[in-house]
Order: sequence, then C-alpha cells, then structure tokens
Amino acid sequence: MIFGHFLKQGLASRYVQVAVLILLAVAVMVPVLNLAVPPGNPFHLPDHWVPLLGKYLCYAMLALALDLVWGFCGILSLGHAAFFALGGYAMGMYLMRQIGSRGVYGNPVLPDFMVFLNYKELPWFWYGFDNFWFAALMVVAVPSLLAFVFGWLAFRSRVAGVYLSIITQAMTYALLLAFFRNDMGFGGNNGLTDFKEIIGFDVSAGSTRLGLFVATALFLIASLVIISSVVASKYGKILVAVRDAEPRTRFIGYRPENVKLFAFVLSAAIAGIAGALYVPQVGIINPGEFAPANSIEVVVWTAVGGRGTLVGPILGAILVNAGKSWFTGVLPEFWLFALGGLFIFVTLFLPKGILGLIGQVKASARARREKRAAEQQVLAE
Amino acid sequence: MTHEIVHRPYPRGRNRNSPRTRAVAIEGRCGEGRRVQALMAAFCAFLVFLFLMFANAAHADEASVRAIISKFADAEGFSQVEKVIDELAATGDPLAVRTLNALNDGKLQVKRGGTVYIEENGKFLDPITGEPVDGADTSGLDKVKIKNSLRRTISAALSGMTLMAKDPAIRSQAASTIFDSSDASQLEALEKALAAETVPSIREQMEEAKASIQLFNSNDPAEVSTALGTIKARGNRAALALLSKYAASADGELKEQADAAISSVEETLSMWEAGQNVWYGISLGSVLFLAAIGLAITFGVMGVINMAHGEMVMLGAYTTFVVQELIRTSAPGLFEYSLLIALPMAFLVAGGVGLLMERSIIRFLYGRPLETLLATWGVSLILQQAVRTIFGPTNREVGNPDWMSGAFTLGEMSLTWNRVWIVCFSLAMFVALQFVLKKTYFGLQMRAVTQNRRMASSMAIRTPWVDAMTFALGSGIAGLAGVALSQIDNVSPNLGQSYIIDSFMVVVFGGVGNLWGTLIGAFTLGIANKFLEPYAGAVLGKILVLVFIILFIQRRPRGLFAQKGRAVEA
Amino acid sequence: MNDVMEKTPATAAGSQHPAQREHKAKFLLYLSGVSVAFDGFKAINNLSLFLEPGEMRAIIGPNGAGKTTMMDIITGKTRPDEGEVFFDGDIDLTKHDEADIANMGIGRKFQKPTVFETLSVEDNILLALAGQRRALPALFYRSNAADMAKIGEILDTVRLSDRRQDLAANLSHGQKQWLEIGMLLAQKPKLLLVDEPVAGMTDSETEETAKLLREIAREQSVVVVEHDMHFVRELGVKVTCLHEGSVLAEGSLDHVSSNQKVIDVYLGR
Repeated sequence: MIFGHFLKQGLASRYVQVAVLILLAVAVMVPVLNLAVPPGNPFHLPDHWVPLLGKYLCYAMLALALDLVWGFCGILSLGHAAFFALGGYAMGMYLMRQIGSRGVYGNPVLPDFMVFLNYKELPWFWYGFDNFWFAALMVVAVPSLLAFVFGWLAFRSRVAGVYLSIITQAMTYALLLAFFRNDMGFGGNNGLTDFKEIIGFDVSAGSTRLGLFVATALFLIASLVIISSVVASKYGKILVAVRDAEPRTRFIGYRPENVKLFAFVLSAAIAGIAGALYVPQVGIINPGEFAPANSIEVVVWTAVGGRGTLVGPILGAILVNAGKSWFTGVLPEFWLFALGGLFIFVTLFLPKGILGLIGQVKASARARREKRAAEQQVLAE
Repeated sequence: MTHEIVHRPYPRGRNRNSPRTRAVAIEGRCGEGRRVQALMAAFCAFLVFLFLMFANAAHADEASVRAIISKFADAEGFSQVEKVIDELAATGDPLAVRTLNALNDGKLQVKRGGTVYIEENGKFLDPITGEPVDGADTSGLDKVKIKNSLRRTISAALSGMTLMAKDPAIRSQAASTIFDSSDASQLEALEKALAAETVPSIREQMEEAKASIQLFNSNDPAEVSTALGTIKARGNRAALALLSKYAASADGELKEQADAAISSVEETLSMWEAGQNVWYGISLGSVLFLAAIGLAITFGVMGVINMAHGEMVMLGAYTTFVVQELIRTSAPGLFEYSLLIALPMAFLVAGGVGLLMERSIIRFLYGRPLETLLATWGVSLILQQAVRTIFGPTNREVGNPDWMSGAFTLGEMSLTWNRVWIVCFSLAMFVALQFVLKKTYFGLQMRAVTQNRRMASSMAIRTPWVDAMTFALGSGIAGLAGVALSQIDNVSPNLGQSYIIDSFMVVVFGGVGNLWGTLIGAFTLGIANKFLEPYAGAVLGKILVLVFIILFIQRRPRGLFAQKGRAVEA
Repeated sequence: MNDVMEKTPATAAGSQHPAQREHKAKFLLYLSGVSVAFDGFKAINNLSLFLEPGEMRAIIGPNGAGKTTMMDIITGKTRPDEGEVFFDGDIDLTKHDEADIANMGIGRKFQKPTVFETLSVEDNILLALAGQRRALPALFYRSNAADMAKIGEILDTVRLSDRRQDLAANLSHGQKQWLEIGMLLAQKPKLLLVDEPVAGMTDSETEETAKLLREIAREQSVVVVEHDMHFVRELGVKVTCLHEGSVLAEGSLDHVSSNQKVIDVYLGR
C-alpha cells in the first residue's frame, strides 16, 4: 500500500511514462524482429545485434544509477564503473563455477586460471558462488557494501565537490591495480571468461541471449521507476535540498551524510546489477572495466542525455555507445576525437543535455505562445 | 563554488624569503642551463687532460715494454724466460699484464727474431694492445713453454704490476680482487705491497685483503680473530659473503665472533639499504612532484581541475623527442645540449596549448569545477589521439645525453645520474616557482586574483589576463616536467595518463593552494611507496598508498597544509 | 564590558558548583568565557552572553566583531577553543553537531538568504516542518491535510501564500529572506538566530520584517544580528554590542549608543 503510493509518485512524470512504454516496446519487439521476421527481410534483426543492444541497455542502467547521485545529489562520482565491475565480477564468478569440469584442465571445482596458477583449493571468497541466488545476492551486496563504507567515511567528514570526485577516481584506480594482480584470485589480467551456461542455459545460444536482453530491459524499467519514485518522494526533495544548500539542511536538522549515503548505496546497487547483466552478454569481465576512463565516460553519457532527468542518461548512454560502435567500425582513428569533442561540446553548449534542450525549446515555445496570446488579447481590447 | 578552493596559497610566516633564496631562485631558473654547461665543459676538459697524460706516458713506456717482450722470442730454456719475466716485473708497467697472463695460460706464440703474438681462438693478437694483427706471419711459431715454478714467478710479477702499480686505482682494484678471492698465494706479494703502500685508503683495503686471506688460512686463533674484526669493519656485501662462508665452517668462540660480526655487518647493510630506499623514494617523490607541481598551480591556485594536465607533461616529452630528432638530423654535435634546448621549447609548447585551452574552453567554465573537469578530460582525449595520429601509438626513443647516463656509488648505495639530475631539477623548479609567486609582480597579481577576484579587478588588474597566464604557467611547468620524465619513462601517447591520478593525489594530500604542501606531499608519498614495496610488492604498495590517501582525506579533507578559518568554507 | 564581567562569575572549566549550575538553568542560552582562534587570529575572545527564555536580543558591532562566528559556535559549526556554551540549562552545545542542535530547537537564518532554490516555496517549508528528520521514512511520506494546513499558516505569517507553488529561485531577495524565516518558524525552535535579516531590503520590507520578528518573539527567544540601527530601534529590545570578539556594551539601545567606546569603534565619529 505504502509502496504503491511510492511507485505512483515515480510514474507521475511524463518523460518516465514515455520511456517505460518505449522500453517495454523494445523488450517485445527485439525478440519478435529477431525470431519472427525471417533473415533477409529488411526488418529482421541479426543475431549479433541482440547482445549489442543488451550491452547498451546495461550501460543505460549504469548511467541512470549515476544520475541519481550526480543529477540529484551533486555527487560527481568518477568511480561508478567500479560498482558496475564488482557486480560483473560477482556474476562472472558464478558463471566460472558453472563451467565445472568442462574447462580446459577439466578440474571440477577450480576454474582454469586457478589450475594454471597452481591453486590447490578454492579461495574462501569463491565459496557459494556456484549457487545462483547467492551470486545474485553478492551482485547487490558487494557494490553496496563498498559504497556504504566509502560513502560513510567520505560524507561524514564532509568531503565534497571535486575532492570527492578525485577520491572516487582513486578508489576505482586502486581496484584496477588490485584486480590486475594474479594472486587476488580473480583471474588477474585476463579476468573471467569462457563461460558455458547460466542457470542451465547455454550462454551463447540465441534464445539465452534474447532472454538476457529482455531481462535487462525489464531491470532497466524497474530501476527507472524505482529511482524516479525515490526522486519524487519527500526524500528526493531532501536530496535536492542537500545538493542546493547542504548547510541549510543541516541547520534544519537533517543529516546530509545519511541522505547522501542512501542515494549512493542505492546507486551502487543498481550499477552492480547492470554489471551483472552485462557480463553474460559480452562473455567476459576483466580489470579493464575498473579503468578510471570508463567511469568518466559514464559521466559523459549522463551529461549528453541530460543530467538530473533520469530518462536523459538512458538516452545518452544508448546514443553515445551507438556512436562509438559506428565510429569504431568506420573511422576507428577518430573515435577519441569525437568523444573528446563531445565532452567539450556538451559542457560548453549543452549544459542540460538533450532532454534539457527539449525542455528549453518547449518552454520558449510556450512563452512565445503566451506572448502571442497576450498580444492578441491586447489587440482585441 | 570555485571559492571552496582555498585561495590563500601560502601560509603566513613563510615570507622570510631572504636575498639568499632569491639568488638560488634566479640561479635555479635561468642558471640551470648555464650551470650544466659549465660543469660539462669542465668535465670535458678534465677528460682531455687525462687522455693526453695517458697517451704521453703510454707512448714512452710502450716502446721499452715492447722491447722487453720481444726478448721472449729468443729466450732459450726456463731460466732465460724467467729472466725476461723478472725484467718485465721490474718495469712495474701494467702494459705487460696482458702478455704475462697469456704466458701463464700458454697462449704466447713466438718466433725467433723478436716476433711475439698472443694466440686466442685462432687469432693472433698484439701482446700489448690485444688488437688482432693484420697479416701476421704465422709460420714457424712456437709456444713459450712454462713450468710450475715459473707460474709462481709470473704471478709474483703480475701482482707487483697490479698491487704495486703506479696507478692507485689499479692497486685498489687488485686489493679488492684478493679480498674477494682470499687467494693465499697472493699473501707474500700483498705483504710486500702493504709495506710499500703510502695511500691510507689503499693500505686499508690491503689490510682487509690480508685479513681475508688469514681468515681462511691462518691457524692462529688470535690472528683470525683480528681478521674477523677487520672484515667486520669493512661492512659491505663482500664482507658479509666472506663472513658467512667462514661461519659455515667455523666452530667455538670464533664462530660466535663471526656470527656477531655477521649480524653487525647485516645491520650496517640494512642501514644502507634503508638509505637506498630513501633515495628511491626521493627519486620517485621528485617525479611525483614534477608531475604535480603544474597541477598545484592550476588546481591549487586557480581551482581549475585540469584533467588534461598529464597530456601537458606528455607534450613536453614529445617536444624533447622532436628537438632531439632535429638535432640528430641537422646538428648532431648539439646532442649533449638537447635537453637544455628542449626545456624552453617544451615550456612554450605546453604553455601555448594551455593558453589556448584557457581562452577557448576553461574561461567559460569558471565557478563550475565539475564541468571543467569533464571538458578538460575531453581535451585530454583529443590531445592523446592527436599525438597518436602524428607520432604513432608506440614508444618513441628519447636519448639520454652523457651527463644523464651512468651511475655512481655512494657507500653501498647506487645512484644513477639521471635520477640525481631530476631530483635537482625538481627542487630548482620549486624554488623558481616560489620566487615567481612570491617575488614577482605577476605572482602578486595572481595571488590577488585568487583571493578576491572582484577586488583585484576593481584595482585595475586584468583578471582574465591573469587567469590565462596562470593557466599557461601551470601548463608550461607540466611541459618542463615532461622533458625530465622523458629521460626515465616511455614516451608514448599514454604517458600523461599514468601520472594524472598520482598528481591529483599529491596535490590533494599536500593541501590545495600550497606549494610546500605539494613538495612535502610528493616526497612523503614517494618515500612511503618505496618503503612499502619490499613488504607488499610494487602494486600492493601503491594500492596501500591510495587507500591511505583516501582515508587521510576523510580525516583532513583539505590536506596536510590546509588553512583554517571561516574564509575556507565561505 | 566590565560591568558584564562583574555580573558573571569567572567560569573556570571543570569546576561546577551547584550554585553555578542553578545559575545556568535560569538562561535559555549561556555563553561564558568563550574563545576561538583561526590561524592565531582571535575571532572570539572571552565572550560571555546570557539570554533568558522568551527574550529577544539584538547584537550589533562592526565587521569582524565576531557576530557570525558566535552564531557558528552556538549552532555547532565551529568548536570553541575554550569556554562554556549551554542551552536550555544543561545541554552542552559544544558536544553536539549542527543537526543535533537544530533538532534541540535552535534555528538559524544565514546572512545571505539560503533557501532551496530548485524546490517550490511549499516544499521548502515542508522540509523544515518539525518532525521526522530521518532519511528513509521520507521515502514513504504522504502529504496530508495537517501538514498542508501548517504550511499554509506559516506562509500566511511570512506573507508568501500567493507564491506557494512557485520555485524559490523566482522569489525576490526580500521574499527569500522571509521564506527562510518561515522555514525557521516551521522548525518550531525555542531559539532563533537571525543574521542580518534586513540586509538589502527596502524600507517598507524592513518595517514588515521588524513586525514579523516581534510577532515571532512572542513565543520564541530570538537573537538578531543587525547593522541597521533604524531596524534595531524598531525592534526595541536589549542590545549587545560586540567588538573584537568580546562584549563592549550591553543594555537598551539608548544606553549602548551613548557609550563612548561604542561610539568610538562602531557608531563612529
């Protein structure tokens, strides 16, 4: 009952309604176009497009998670890809355990890289990952825990602004270095790969990929509705209040550190889920996902679509990544020029992103209409 | 929002910059090049001098030594050979060493009439220079035969030439060879040399060599005990090896004494090792400092987050590469000066790019630090890709001039010249920057603008100009850092990326808006990193330092040298 | 300054006689021998100030006299180096942080109006309404008639009823000051600290504000920091003049403004 009201708040926004409908349509149409439309037909969706689109939706979810903290709480996290990657590693560990004795070395318990590195037994932190539900729990718990500890320390000591951004970057950098180490027990440089099956389905089968795509779309819709509800609630107003005037909220009697912490942890959890959905679709997770550059790229997706609009970052993530796929196919040399230019262009000329621009155009159109109406009224009189 | 960054760059009470500091600053900035030049000129002159001396001396002696050596050709029987050896020994000239060694090894080939060659792997070499002889007359050559008693004579003659050579460096070398080998057959020669030796440091080395022989060959416990003491006093790795070897076979009181000596030497060594670690730390700290100091200006003084800072460093390194390429193709003689030429060029290139960035992008984003961060990240991607397109994705070779190459030892520490120069360079940069900020009119304007922009502009300071110049200065300094880093790191398009996070850590740890903080922060982190490495490994050590900084920022959100007061939070 | 010092027993930290505790209990706000220094500069120097329940006090003084720093100390933003700060008799304010102190019933208005610009006027008041301050329950908050009525009441008091749905960013400077006072009222504090409420206001707005503060002072204790002597006269309350971090004079406005030292350092020439 309470929860129903909570979600109704989130669905009140027109943008969110439209986005949910479009995403639902996509979740239905992608399998239909892939399966029901025969190859050769111009409307047929080739098989390799399915995981690609699924990847975009995972990125969209990550951008959405970032928007909760950056758009609504002013925390520019330059380490959000770390939460994504941790979720991905948790899922990767489950997938590794599912390989069982089908690995190159045929060890029923130890993944190949452990056999290769002369592990005698499974490290303790790999226990339980053969169970899907345990792994699913870890997908949420590990990023959340990291976000909780990190956020608790940072927000309590009032680290804010660029300082916070810089230490989030240091956080993901430290994790990058750590996961590169072979003796961390996460596959070192090569990461986790060669997955065979997920909850009994062959990961490379077309049907599994469609299933994962639909699951990703549904998770994205759920995340959007939940975050939108959070933002629309009184808590969301406090969040914005903290962003705009943190000392004021303190002197009213709120604890901004707790307010921020909840948003940060929720955001990390959603980023973790996005990472977990990403790994089976791309078939690999390696330490490169922790690279600071990745996290900054997420920021630009969010900025392109429109920070603080929730729907914008989804749009931005999909557009920028589609652009990336196109560029790297056609003009690989120029992708970094284009991306760099995009960073500069958006910050200088599109500070509110695409959705912000649409909003502005609408507002000015309305203003013009009203002005004309007023003029006509004056004339009529 | 910008002004959440502290705008009083220097704590009070640091203004005691006396004329002395000023002098150092001037020298550090403009005199760096001249000082190196003067030093190098002196060094070259010294080399030429040495060469001439040797050439002369060698010329005079070579003829007489050659004359004696040629007598081997006509020596009949062991006694005559021995006579020639004695004659050579009497000259005491190290030029004869090669010949005697060859004789000892049975490689000396002679023919009547004064022809002497050293035969090695089927080649015939000159007995003095060791150069292959063109058109050597190899027919009718005979090997000079020797017997055991002759071997002793040769060895005595050899040691006389080494242990009693005129050149102290050769004597010292010979003594340390004996020290390492503990060769009892050298004892007699050693004692003779010891009696004649006048240089105290070489005497000491010879005493140690003698102790090394006694340690393994003497039956007198008192003598061994003294020897142990002498070797312990030497306190280096070679001494430790000798002592360990001895302790393994000794027993009783002497073993105890040896063990005690071992632990004492180990202690000495571990102190040297700590010293070496400190040096590595200082060296890393100087690199961190160089990478961070430009950032300390743009981030610390202006509050601008320049994510393209690392790329400014990279541009400096590539400028060095281009300068060296031009020198290689058009004026190879200038190669030794290439770095000195590259310094102003790198400053101009990086500073120019910085100026362009400030005028075209950053000035529109003042007061929006997070947006600045994103836009400059975009610039960094573009610069990286531009360099990759122009120079290719692989590492480019930047050469070290001679004065930057090689190493020297200090006690048990080994120091490379390039690291030493980089440490000096980083300190000079610090002094020069402090001078610019504190003692020049531009520095005054800069501090005025950062403290109170509106007040400064109402006092007819052109604030946009000051902003642009400050940013250009910070970028130019990054370019200078790039010249230095090109000497120790791979020059590739990713060069800057590897420094940017470290640089931010240094500035944030040291305290924003404070060059002293940057200096101390960089050296602290450098040393901490190097001390963690032996225990944790390089990567884990770095992770620990990062985690430490993250935790440190929680405790002191404004770094080591933060300013207090209400202005800070306003 | 001397007569103030005579009135209060010198408070050595630690020694707490029962009589002294009783003495504290008489006051809503009790500051004794408070000092704080920034980088060696003494912003507050042995300051003592006592406020009775229900009292309204005006604080005047030149720039840098320590007025804002005093408010920072009371609200927990700055910790004093020495001295005692007690609220409501026995609550040691130096041991609590801003949020705690706010929830105990001390509200503060900043010198520069600070409202939540991207929220509506109504939401600004809603967030300030006394009650739940924890983050998570706010997720499931449902607006209700009682809260809406309270908000309406407060908006009537601060004369912003017709701007209820507007964004705070679109208010005029004076209206933002009032909105901030409205937020203070919504907190239902026992003590209001108001920093320069009429800076940048027109004369009529200033008069209105004085009226508003007098209304508020009927139920709550108020400390007003202000430069505008006209406004202070309008308030008609006891005045404390600060200078270089300590109390220079205290009493009625006429008494204070006739003090030679006050004329020298503040009212001037």
